[in-house]
This record gives sequence, C-alpha cells and structure tokens, in this order.
Amino acid sequence: MKPDDFEQNLRRQPFREVPSDWRASILQTARAAGNDPASATLAMPGVADSGPSAKTNVWSLGWREWLWPCPQAWAGLAAIWLFIAGLNLTTPAQPTMAQQRPRAVGENEPTLAEQRRELARLLDATLTEPKTAPKPPPGPRSEVPAIAPAKA
Amino acid sequence: MTPDLEQLYDEHAQALFAFVLNVTRDESDTRDILQEVFIKLARQPHHLADVRDARGFLLRLGHNAAIDLMRRRGTRDRNHDQLATDSAGAFARSPDPDTQSFRQALDFALGGLPAEQRAVVHLKLWEGLTFEAIAEALEIPLNTAASRYRYGLDKLRERLRPLYEEIK
Repeated sequence: MKPDDFEQNLRRQPFREVPSDWRASILQTARAAGNDPASATLAMPGVADSGPSAKTNVWSLGWREWLWPCPQAWAGLAAIWLFIAGLNLTTPAQPTMAQQRPRAVGENEPTLAEQRRELARLLDATLTEPKTAPKPPPGPRSEVPAIAPAKA
Repeated sequence: MTPDLEQLYDEHAQALFAFVLNVTRDESDTRDILQEVFIKLARQPHHLADVRDARGFLLRLGHNAAIDLMRRRGTRDRNHDQLATDSAGAFARSPDPDTQSFRQALDFALGGLPAEQRAVVHLKLWEGLTFEAIAEALEIPLNTAASRYRYGLDKLRERLRPLYEEIK
C-alpha cells in the first residue's frame, strides 16, 4: 500500500523529545533493580510502597499480576466459594447412603440353621396334619351339600 | 549476558517514549512505563538474548505495560482518553503557526482514536513498521492490524481534512 500525501505529511510531524533528566534516574533505578530484585519490586510502578519484607513484595507482585486481568471474576468466584463454605458449615450434617452403617451379614436374616429348623417344622406339621375331607365327586351342583354362610 | 542499558536507552528510549506517550496520552504514565521496561530488562536480561529486533521487543514491552496500566485505571479513569487530549501534547512545538496548529489538531485527533487504533497508527506512521511487525509487536492478527490502521487513518483524515487542505 503506497502512502498518500496525507500519510506522508503525518509522518513528518516529530514527537517531543524524551525529557533529558529521565535518562539518569531511569537507568540508575533499573541498575539498582537488576542488582537487587527486592529494590526492583519496590521501584516497580503500581506496587505497594513498602511492605514487611522484600519477599512479601515479590509474592504480592506475582499474585497481583496473576489476578489482575479479571479481578471481578476472581472476586465473584471467591464470594461463591465463601457462600458455599458457609452453607456447608451451617447446614446440619445428614448421613448419606454411603455413610450409613452397612448392614451386617446375617442381620435381620435367618441363619441357615434357623432355616433348616423352620423347614423341618413345616415338614413335620405337614406329615402330622389331619387329612382333610375328600373332595366330593363331581356331579350336579344341586347335589352338593349346602355350606352355611359365614357369620359376619 | 547483561544488556547494555545505556546503549538500549540511547537507541530506543525516544521511540519508546513517543509510542507510549501516544498510547497513554500522559507524560507521568509514560515515565513510569519506561522505568518499568528498563527494570524488566535489568532484572531479566535473558529476554533480550533471543530477540532479533530489540526495537520491536521494547515496543511490545511498552505496549503491554501501557495496556496493563490503563486496565488498572479502567474504573478510575474511564474517560482517560478525553482527559488525555488536554495534556501538554505529544508533538514537538513548531515556530510556524500553521504547522503548530496542525500538530495540535493532529494531537487532538489522535487522542480521539481508541487506544488500539492509535497504537497501530503510531507504529505504522512513525515507526514505519510493516503490518506483520505491528501484528507481532501488539500480539494481534495481521488483518486486525491492517483494519485498525485503515479505520484510524480514515478518522484522522476526516478530522484533519479541512486544516490539512488549508495548509497544504
């Protein structure tokens, strides 16, 4: 793309010179920071002026740089987490299915010996049970003896 | 290898100053950002070891620092751009009244552009970078760099046309 006259004219407009007194102070601070990371942290713009220690400042800077792109999102996430944690603490604990005491094997269930005893009892009862009256031979319903209705 | 900070400053500080001043529109912020960039160079000299284009690398550092600064102030200085147009001006003063008037108008018109368009326009016009280099420096797609330049230049042309026609 060939620049037109307007672009050429803009290009000819010079910017201000960098203030001459900046050079010494910027380089001095940078050199000091390069030799001493702690002082570098203190000299970084936007970092707390002073802190309990240089190490704390380095950590503070790291966290700040990491969290800074979306502070509202992180704050919202922290608020939600606190809400859930509070809810969890205030709600009485209810046992879940997994936490319930497992039923012992055989509990509420007859043992094999009991089952055998029961079977034997039933068999004995069957063998000793009096024989019921034989069914009447099939025939006309009118010849079957009437059964007295049960009293309510 | 420790970089020669003095040499880097002498070679690139003017370009960095102009670019950051144009993006931030604030001289105090520009100084803070220059300081931050050189502190990073002093503390992490290995970053420069594999860099082919030191100017582009420094412009990227400056741009990132400027964007971070503007984000930090996002809620506090919502109208930073409008406030910035009242600053002392980014261009050198000219003894010629017409030229000086044009530079002031250009400064004002630049201040009216969004910061991302202003950054692209600056790198294209005053640093002479290609769109590829601009895209790399600003970490944006090539087409985005080209479109931002076109939109920004169109706005400047529209705002400065009467004055430009007058002094041409």
